[in-house]
Amino acid sequence: MGQEFHYAPFRVEAGKVREFALALGLRDPVYFDRKAAVDAGYRGIPAPPTFTTVIDFWNERDFYQLFAVWGLDPNDILHGEQSFEYGQDIISGDVISAKAVLTDRFDKKDKRFYQIETTYRNQDNDVVCIGRATLIERREQHGAEIAGHS
Amino acid sequence: MAQKLRDIHKKALAPIDMVRYSGASGDFNEIHTVPKVARSKGLKEPIVHGMLLMGWAADAIEEWFPERKLKKFTVRFVGMAHAGEAFVIEGMLTTGNAGELQIKDASGAGKLVGSFEMD
Repeated sequence: MGQEFHYAPFRVEAGKVREFALALGLRDPVYFDRKAAVDAGYRGIPAPPTFTTVIDFWNERDFYQLFAVWGLDPNDILHGEQSFEYGQDIISGDVISAKAVLTDRFDKKDKRFYQIETTYRNQDNDVVCIGRATLIERREQHGAEIAGHS
Repeated sequence: MAQKLRDIHKKALAPIDMVRYSGASGDFNEIHTVPKVARSKGLKEPIVHGMLLMGWAADAIEEWFPERKLKKFTVRFVGMAHAGEAFVIEGMLTTGNAGELQIKDASGAGKLVGSFEMD
């Protein structure tokens, strides 16, 4: 418990926001057009609410390295719950740093649960988001009935 | 007083949409894209990324309340979703600034349940 992992600082680029928005089928022009974003009151193109996933997986000391350090096989992990608490907006051009902390780990039946709290801060050290995830490790490989998924 | 929000219908995903989301998000867990790996993990076919469903749910909130800012958003992934299934997002405003939502397939089976708070 209390294990910490620091992600590498991640620069949010407008092109990555656009790619992510397209993959989710988002249509709001603020994610694609700087002028639309500024007209809507943003400093620049904002990141969509679930963009912190991109930071987790695409920074240079990423979630896979966290899994390796904590001894988890990503293909055995299902995502049970996720919550976000939002602070300042994440805007293209921002550099986001994040610290993940293992806040709890417990076993239930043939599954092991991990609770991870990740705090994301921008270049001004403002908190932009706190993410809380419950991950489920399937210890019985062939149990097809799992209440949750990655 | 609770207020029902307009249902939002999502077209079925194709397998390539899950490949696209894997690349965009960086979540290359192969249970989402490679049938052989999914089967080796006891699944009958690849499953949709939970975070793709959460992204849709966040989009639904922005569509329902374009002028409001999301402050808190919590979801539980309650069922596995697959390519080829159409989904509906149902929502309910429970107080002036808080609501609940769920994503279901055509048979009514739940995939995601969530709650949110706005400014």
